[in-house]
Amino acid sequence: MASCTVVYTTTTQSLNKNCSFSSKSHLGFHHQKHLVFYKRSSSKRGSPCVITCGAAAGDQTLVIGLAADSGCGKSTFMRRLTSVFGGRAEPPKGGNPDSNTLISDTTTVICLDDYHSLDRTGRKEKGVTALDPRANDFDLMYEQVKAIKDGIAVQKPIYNHVTGLLDPPELIKPPKILVIEGLHPMFDSRVRELLDFSIYLDISNEVKFAWKIQRDMAERGHSLESIKASIEARKPDFDAFIDPQKQYADAVIEVLPTQLIADDNEGKVLRVRLIQKEGVKHFSPVYLFDEGSTISWVPCGRKLTCSYPGIKFSYGPETYYGHEVSVVEMDGQFDRLDELIYIESHLSNLSSKFYGEVTQQMLKHSDFPGSNNGTGLFQTIIGLKIRDLYEQIVASRVEAPVGAAKA
Amino acid sequence: AVRRVRAAPERISEKVEESIKKAEETCSDDPASGECAAAWDEVEELSAAASHARDRKKETSDPLENYCQDNPETKECRTYDN
Repeated sequence: MASCTVVYTTTTQSLNKNCSFSSKSHLGFHHQKHLVFYKRSSSKRGSPCVITCGAAAGDQTLVIGLAADSGCGKSTFMRRLTSVFGGRAEPPKGGNPDSNTLISDTTTVICLDDYHSLDRTGRKEKGVTALDPRANDFDLMYEQVKAIKDGIAVQKPIYNHVTGLLDPPELIKPPKILVIEGLHPMFDSRVRELLDFSIYLDISNEVKFAWKIQRDMAERGHSLESIKASIEARKPDFDAFIDPQKQYADAVIEVLPTQLIADDNEGKVLRVRLIQKEGVKHFSPVYLFDEGSTISWVPCGRKLTCSYPGIKFSYGPETYYGHEVSVVEMDGQFDRLDELIYIESHLSNLSSKFYGEVTQQMLKHSDFPGSNNGTGLFQTIIGLKIRDLYEQIVASRVEAPVGAAKA
Repeated sequence: AVRRVRAAPERISEKVEESIKKAEETCSDDPASGECAAAWDEVEELSAAASHARDRKKETSDPLENYCQDNPETKECRTYDN
């Protein structure tokens, strides 16, 4: 159903008689919310009226899903992504100070914890974790994400992480790009259908443990035992409900312990794999040297100085949950970020706008966690890929209405 | 009107500590129960909130930046693009 608002830009003149607009006529504009309907000049009497959807084209919100466990770097990824589009992401002004939403010029990030159907006390009484689907309202999630995608603002609840209560809702206006991040963006098939692109951050148990030690050890009351107990207690639900979502992701960033150092448990040196699904519309995977070949590359040498344990790249086709994928892998870390340009120049299909953009983006946020290893590199690349996807979809929408108008 | 502010990291820290104690108690009876998992899940949620609060505090730790946000017209804060 096309619901159009007719806007007359000429206020002094009456509408050209030839411009008849029947409410029954089906124009084929499914996505536009506003139809701008104007007459070019009064001298050309009887000229066919012009219908433009220029301003409205691309109005439909692009929806991106990001799945990851808590404490796995979702917020760092979000900051890198919004930076690619320019501008800073900030919480909504003047609203609830504990809101989980981040808004920038182009992007709005909503946290799916806001769709908890049970608050903290409710979960405790029922004996379920936040990972359990029973603690989440997927009907509301689907309805609201669909409404935003269709250009309708919604009143979204706020889950307060400090008090553990559901606070009064906040107004979310449809942005150009909506990112839904949390534990279950790809769990419900209806929500999954709405996603234009999906990402899963897959952190191996060893690395998760190391990261949580870094995060929590300074916290009062925490000990190695408590951190371990918390991971162990959540693991059955994590394996049952969160982990299986990675099969639906268009891109998976897998973070593993390094293979360059034997028995490394520190979690400082990482082996990071970017698993990219083949055949996704508007998404062409990044490759190293030669598309489709299997390659192992050690860039250290005369052109790149690396200290122990060095850097190793790999690339090749693989199968992931029955899908054809291309995998780029980086093991090790950079000593000098500016030397990243040497690596960038050997990667193809980066969707960058100029030579060196990946390096520049990484340098801009050299203080973020993961800036000296594959997590930062691949997160930045995915950010560029999402920008490319957005631009391609907008371009194809501008073309489509023109074709429809001719017919 | 009362201006609402985000909870301070110190207050969340206390809650983390409490929640760990409670989780240890809950799990001493039956370590495989749903109640035990829910209790540790609360610990995780609060630890994440505490870590985010610490990050935010770090972001605004520069005293001059903080001062300039409220007083952009003062001598030490004025910046001109050209």
